[in-house]
Amino acid sequence: MRLLFITLLLASLSNCTPSPSANTSQAEDRITLTYWSATNPDEVKFANETAAEWNREHPQIQIKIEVVPAGQSSEEVVLAAVASRTTPDIYASVFPGVMQDLLDARGVVQLDGFPDFDAVLNERMPPETSEQYRSPDGHFYQMPWKSNPIMMLYNTGMLREVGITTLPTTYSEFLAAATRVTRDRDGDGRVDQWMATIDYLPIWYKRMYDYYPLYLAASGGETLLQKRRVAFNNEHSIEVFRFLQECFSKGYVPRQTFQGDVFLDAKVAAKFSGPWSISHLERYRPADFEYEYAPMLRPDNASIQPVSYADSKSIVIFTTCRHPREAWEFVKFMTTKRNDLRLLEITSQLPIRASMLEDEVFADYFGRHPQMVRFAEQVLGARSVDSVSELKEIFDIITQEFEASVIFNLKSPEQAVQDAAQRSQTILDVE
Amino acid sequence: MQPSEAKRFSMWNRGERKGESRREKAERGLLPAAFRPLPSQSADRAGYLMVLPYVIHTVIFIGYPLAFAFVLIFHRWNIYSPMKWVGLGNIKLLLIDPLIWRALGNTIFFLLIHIPLQLIIALGLAQLLNQKIRGRTFFRASYFLPVVISGIVVTILWQQLYAYETGLVNLALREINLPRVGWLTDPRIAMVSIAVMATWKNVGLYVVLFLVGLQAIPSHLYEAAELDGASSWQKFRLITVPMLNPTIMLVLVLSTINGFSLFIEPYVMTGGGPVSSTLSGILYLYKQAFFFGKMGYAATIGFFWALIIFMVVLIQRRVVETEAV
Amino acid sequence: MKRFLLYATLVVGAIIFLYPFVWMIAATLKPEPEIAGFHIIPRHLTFESYHFVFNKLPIIRGFVNSLFVSMIVTASVIIFGSMTGYALSRLRFRGRATVYNVALLTMMVPAQLTIIPLYTMIVGFGWVNSYLALIVPAMMSSYSSLLFRQFFLSIPQSLVEAAKLDGCSDWRILFSIFYPLSKPVITTVAILTFMGIWNDVLWPLMVIRDEQLMTMPLLVTLFAVGGGADARLGVQLAAATLLALPVIIAYIFLQRNLIESMASSGMKN
Repeated sequence: MRLLFITLLLASLSNCTPSPSANTSQAEDRITLTYWSATNPDEVKFANETAAEWNREHPQIQIKIEVVPAGQSSEEVVLAAVASRTTPDIYASVFPGVMQDLLDARGVVQLDGFPDFDAVLNERMPPETSEQYRSPDGHFYQMPWKSNPIMMLYNTGMLREVGITTLPTTYSEFLAAATRVTRDRDGDGRVDQWMATIDYLPIWYKRMYDYYPLYLAASGGETLLQKRRVAFNNEHSIEVFRFLQECFSKGYVPRQTFQGDVFLDAKVAAKFSGPWSISHLERYRPADFEYEYAPMLRPDNASIQPVSYADSKSIVIFTTCRHPREAWEFVKFMTTKRNDLRLLEITSQLPIRASMLEDEVFADYFGRHPQMVRFAEQVLGARSVDSVSELKEIFDIITQEFEASVIFNLKSPEQAVQDAAQRSQTILDVE
Repeated sequence: MQPSEAKRFSMWNRGERKGESRREKAERGLLPAAFRPLPSQSADRAGYLMVLPYVIHTVIFIGYPLAFAFVLIFHRWNIYSPMKWVGLGNIKLLLIDPLIWRALGNTIFFLLIHIPLQLIIALGLAQLLNQKIRGRTFFRASYFLPVVISGIVVTILWQQLYAYETGLVNLALREINLPRVGWLTDPRIAMVSIAVMATWKNVGLYVVLFLVGLQAIPSHLYEAAELDGASSWQKFRLITVPMLNPTIMLVLVLSTINGFSLFIEPYVMTGGGPVSSTLSGILYLYKQAFFFGKMGYAATIGFFWALIIFMVVLIQRRVVETEAV
Repeated sequence: MKRFLLYATLVVGAIIFLYPFVWMIAATLKPEPEIAGFHIIPRHLTFESYHFVFNKLPIIRGFVNSLFVSMIVTASVIIFGSMTGYALSRLRFRGRATVYNVALLTMMVPAQLTIIPLYTMIVGFGWVNSYLALIVPAMMSSYSSLLFRQFFLSIPQSLVEAAKLDGCSDWRILFSIFYPLSKPVITTVAILTFMGIWNDVLWPLMVIRDEQLMTMPLLVTLFAVGGGADARLGVQLAAATLLALPVIIAYIFLQRNLIESMASSGMKN
């Protein structure tokens, strides 16, 4: 019995040793770099094709594609890998919200140390866009790569049916449309058609698809925090809460869950959505189903450029990489115009790149995918999230106040925003 | 057992004499070692070997985590980055954390519904089963079935029963022309729904416990009471309840611990909502640890929760004991 | 009349506890729109829900994982628990009283207190996403050790003495003389341990993220929570039914043992 126990202990110990990473090639002069791709099949396909092309051209620097190991969330898997020093060389799908954790763990390589980093970054995007990816210490540790801006998706047929031909851009236009769209169609005394659907589940990241884009649009792109001070305790947050509260309390947004896709079933005329809906809609929509994307809704008095939330992902090189210079060469290759086009073609996700719409390299693609034009227009203006390790909890606190005020009408928007701000600051102050 | 051993076994049994004192028995080698004085000169080497795995395991998997809990309480740590000392930060945060107090309030509310329901239904069914009836095994087994089925199955099942549009409970209400109820979506009702479900899941166990307790009550007590002309209620109040006191205590403690361990039900059915009305301590601990990566704060919540359980059980014991006097 | 009321109440009780399970199993065989109804016999029999579950979830793998983990843990708890119980009841060695008291004490440590530090320790060992995380921390149980001790105390000491005269070692006495006599306690410990591990969700939820290593209840839980069922009622219920079925079958055969073991665990706590 004791033997069994000891065997188990030994087995466990052998499990502790980090698995050999990266450079396991036989040939002395040949470098192999490991690249983790997100699990989504389209992204794996992009990674494989890009790496295959690179590998043909660079026999001395081979890229090996691995899919990020399964886990509860890819962020956690990456953090765990950092802690056990089993990170790959390059990872392409870092959520900017976890950068601070990666930095605290000293997991990632400083990228602006490479002499041509600034040139590469500036070639892709203007400083207004790239600045939000700069870490508090003034350096860049991530290469902003791709983005999924959140926009308003409308069923134009349903709107036309009630006489609305221009898509709403402000709260009052939206609410006005809502009074006409929301109604009882079959006359059984119960409303069966609504203005919009909002996935109001009290889960922190759901607020990135309702409150947060609305807040960014209202504030003109100000994020929730300034350094470690709460900055969302303002009129903009209150306006967003008040608007959403009205949507729910007047019944423009149903407070129940449905089976199937309510938008596709034409039960609602609008929803918050990203470019990923396009392929789904194209595949399943009935022939007479028409839809269009529009910029994020704004308060009536706001006259600012439409801004939204960009569900963006960055590329990082880990400190376990023994050949950062070569890894950086590959990162540059991944983000060339040609590969950005490949990203669009394969994954329908947008590279964070300026003036794609004027560029002839992309002209053919946008000609074939007119819906993607709307997103390309948003890419530069869209904002990411603050990089603090308390980010999720702050979103969770906002979610609770959102639920109490917007969904259940138990609190005024003013009170809810103030409570959320106060509690968030308390958590940021515990150190 | 080998036949020869069985023979020896019965032989030794016969060697036992009536009225022997413990010491005499011990001297004749009839009493287990635990009751014998420990002679200091000889120790059984096998003893060390046999408890060694247990001791090692306990030190590693209970002792160390216990000690480490007290380290964690004073730190902020997401496991992956270096630990950060926060002193009493976590404890201060806990004391002003509206959610942990909300979770405590929710749990107490849960218990206030769950325990009385549990006691009444379990005692009632046990009384019925304790009469001369046919098919007792069948009834007992059917009441017990939810106890053995895994909590997640029961949770998924009841989530469907409680569903607003398609759930059987609301369908039944519609049959008798009553409006639908948001069993899991109304913040005033969600916890009640969970408490009813938990009662349904666990009551079978308590039926069996009460049944064992009832069967242990000597029938002559009732006979004597009947001679004195006691009514059924008097018999119940004056004989059954006092005699069942230990079982009642047990049921109280077990349901309390159940209530404080609530996790899978709100995790699956409501995620702790609506408006935190079904947030439980363990769910909150889990959230802090696994959503927000705050191991130190989660450990602080665990410590607080353990402390509360301990206190509540202590109070219950005190109350039941005074009742009994 | 009174008799009739008595039986009526008992039968209504039985229906309340049994009907939901019957309805659940029936619902998994109905097409989606039919589920919202009280009837049991499906009007249109379909196995669509099961197809969906088997396509989406490695449910067989989950079953094997659960079985593997539960069996190893149960065997270990019985073997080590009986060893500890034997030593505590039959052998003399220094520190015996301490071990006994510690065992009593550890039973009072609530799991809430140690679960987070235990988890961080498992991460430190690199055991996340391995069977070790599921098995090793559960391999011994103070409660079972004490159950064994309690039971062994009732076995006559003379049996031990005689066996020793025959040259039996303590190991042989435990495994070949005590074991055959200890069927009731072994059954109880086996059932309690097996059920505890089989039904546990919280701990596997913490330490396993790889679908291939997940236990069956964990798979089903994440399926229900994560929306893998596309909000389809029949599919969720089918997953739940697959999880319940082995237990229901075992219950039909072992009903008496299960009830007695679980009731006795309640009594002795």
